[in-house]
Amino acid sequence: MLWLALHLPLLSLEAFCATLPAQAQPVAVALIHQHRIAAVNAAAAACGVRPGMKRATALALVADLRLADTDTARDAAALQAVAHTALAFTPAVTLHDAQTVLLEVQASLRLFGGLVALRQRLAAALAPLGHRVQMAAAPTASGAALLARWHPADRGDLVLGAHARQLSALEPLLDAAPVWLLGPGREHWEALQGMGLHTLADLRALPRAGLARRFGAGLLDELDRARGRQADPRRWLEWPATFDSRLELFARAETSEQVLAGASVLLARLVAWARARQARVGSFTLRMGHERQRQAQVPATELHVELAEPALDAAHLQLLLRERLGRCQLAAPTLELQLRCRHLVVGAAPNGELFPTRASEAVGLVRLLERLRARLGDEQVQRLEPVADHRPERASRSVPVQGTAQGTVPARPGAALAAVSAAASAPVAPALPHHRPAWLLPEPLPLAERGALPLLEGRPLQLVSGPERIEAGWWDGVPAVRDYFIAQAEDGSLVWLYRSRLPAAVDDAGWFLQGRFG
Amino acid sequence: MPILQALENLHPALWRAHQVARPSEAVLPSGHADLDAQLPGGGWPARVLTELLLPHAGVGELRLLAPALAALQRRQRAVMWFDPPAAPCAWALGALGLDARQFVVVRSRGGARGRARERLPAVDVLWALEQALKSGHLGAALAWLPARLPADALRRLQLAAQAHDGPVFLLRDAQERTRPSAAPLRLLLASAGPDRLRVTLLKRRGPPLAQPLTLALAPVLSAPALARAQSARGPAAAVPRVGVPV
Repeated sequence: MLWLALHLPLLSLEAFCATLPAQAQPVAVALIHQHRIAAVNAAAAACGVRPGMKRATALALVADLRLADTDTARDAAALQAVAHTALAFTPAVTLHDAQTVLLEVQASLRLFGGLVALRQRLAAALAPLGHRVQMAAAPTASGAALLARWHPADRGDLVLGAHARQLSALEPLLDAAPVWLLGPGREHWEALQGMGLHTLADLRALPRAGLARRFGAGLLDELDRARGRQADPRRWLEWPATFDSRLELFARAETSEQVLAGASVLLARLVAWARARQARVGSFTLRMGHERQRQAQVPATELHVELAEPALDAAHLQLLLRERLGRCQLAAPTLELQLRCRHLVVGAAPNGELFPTRASEAVGLVRLLERLRARLGDEQVQRLEPVADHRPERASRSVPVQGTAQGTVPARPGAALAAVSAAASAPVAPALPHHRPAWLLPEPLPLAERGALPLLEGRPLQLVSGPERIEAGWWDGVPAVRDYFIAQAEDGSLVWLYRSRLPAAVDDAGWFLQGRFG
Repeated sequence: MPILQALENLHPALWRAHQVARPSEAVLPSGHADLDAQLPGGGWPARVLTELLLPHAGVGELRLLAPALAALQRRQRAVMWFDPPAAPCAWALGALGLDARQFVVVRSRGGARGRARERLPAVDVLWALEQALKSGHLGAALAWLPARLPADALRRLQLAAQAHDGPVFLLRDAQERTRPSAAPLRLLLASAGPDRLRVTLLKRRGPPLAQPLTLALAPVLSAPALARAQSARGPAAAVPRVGVPV
């Protein structure tokens, strides 16, 4: 067994900084726990703020210090995201404490090409989450967690990280480790220092019964588990079936850019979760909770983004969300963001093509249509569908393009061949001559008459062909009983107009222009 | 001198002013032999804008483009329409050899309704056209652009069209013939009678064409109707009249 531990020393600070709006200069940030400073970031530490100070002291040192309470729920959500990222590399992931994730990677080493390659890929996968990660590997779980907590700067020559493949290599590392790495060691730090016990080797040299009596059995248990002398069973993490993550923004988000900055953190978590399940995102919903207005509580705005082709590309998801947000009108400033995803498509993504082929062109076209639909609206991107109806205004219908629409370019080569053969063999229209115009006006235009001849824009029309009688629609209450004529306009272009044979009302009598021959 | 005479044969991008240029990109044959003879390269040019100026929708522009679009559909390339002026009729398109179900129609939110003074320049249709051209996955694009465009809109579209492997047709109003345009090929279309189209080549990479072409389009009228239409037009074709015809 080989355990890899990921320790996140600044998890609370980073989880809080994710809720801040994007800033150009680094700001001083500190977290408060029970009226005392619990954690500071580098900018605040440079100004002299230290953990353990009182709130007033810290504010006196740095005037524009951002303060917030520690929030275990927020930290847990951030840690979940790291655990989900780790789940893409091995199914055996567990949480050690509030800041450490443990992976059992012995079975994954061959797939990823060795421990070094696995570490590099894990570091690359964790980079979008923006946390500082300390890694260590050891044959035991507690040993790995212990070594990961050891800060690189304190280790001296172990710059790359403490890694031990065998128990025999782990022993000297553990012997050199300082005592405060152990949980109980931290509590009894002053006592241990007073006794001159600085490293775990010193602890090992003492009689076990005396240590247990003095500092409790917990210290000995942890030492034994780290050295592999005691069993250390772990329960593996199970990922949830649906994704539901919340982010409370520090400052009110009034522009879509600010909302997008917060949503990008949630999208990174969504991608990590989907990748852990070996699946792709089919659709997601962003719910924005608004500030309470004076009159009443503003209901939350929900944005549903549906993807035509399930994808795992964070940049593409962000682009779609940006276009959708640009169109959306926010009723009030946003305070809270919640991202939900219930629709996952399990299965590997189709292979990417090096040279543009029909399949990659179809995928690219679907992505383009997705972008257009996100910006213009789902109803504005349409395709034509012929309908078996003799009434010309009902003979074609515009339906919105949805997903991998059957009418658009087919995705599989087999379907392409079938479409080509179908198009070649059977004509779309029944055997009609060209007596139908290419352009149909959305509403028939009534034409004036002069001397029994219709006028178009003041010019008389010359009837040249007709009448073609169309009687249809008696079954759904909108009957069309019309005589259609082709007429020639003054400049020579042809138009299609009709005259109702049995006009129901006065408005229906007379000539109407239905289409133009384009 | 023999060297100077052979200069234009050195490279396809070199051409003399009295010649029609040979484009380095593949061209799409338009399906009309008379027109192909006058177009540089013998067809619609790819990767550049082609402007068709019409007095109004319905002079025969779809019948002019139908053979080229049908050829693209047979090659399984996608054709997108941007803001068409009216609803296309699927049956009529099928009779012209096009599969109407394969078209994608994009309508901008601004819409082309309302008086000219109220209409805002449709930013959305320009953005959509630019995105579609830059993606490079289209076979052809037909765009009906609004009348008033920002000054550099056509230049941007021309740049975007360089990423697009196929022709781009911009159909605009005939009033734009006096305004300069970045499109290297500009045609003015007018109806020359029933089932006939008069094409004036306003601009092309080569010498201007003195006489407008008259092309025969896919026939809409049957033979007796055509005869009736031509006789009705015959005595009146020379002098445009306003008044009640005989």
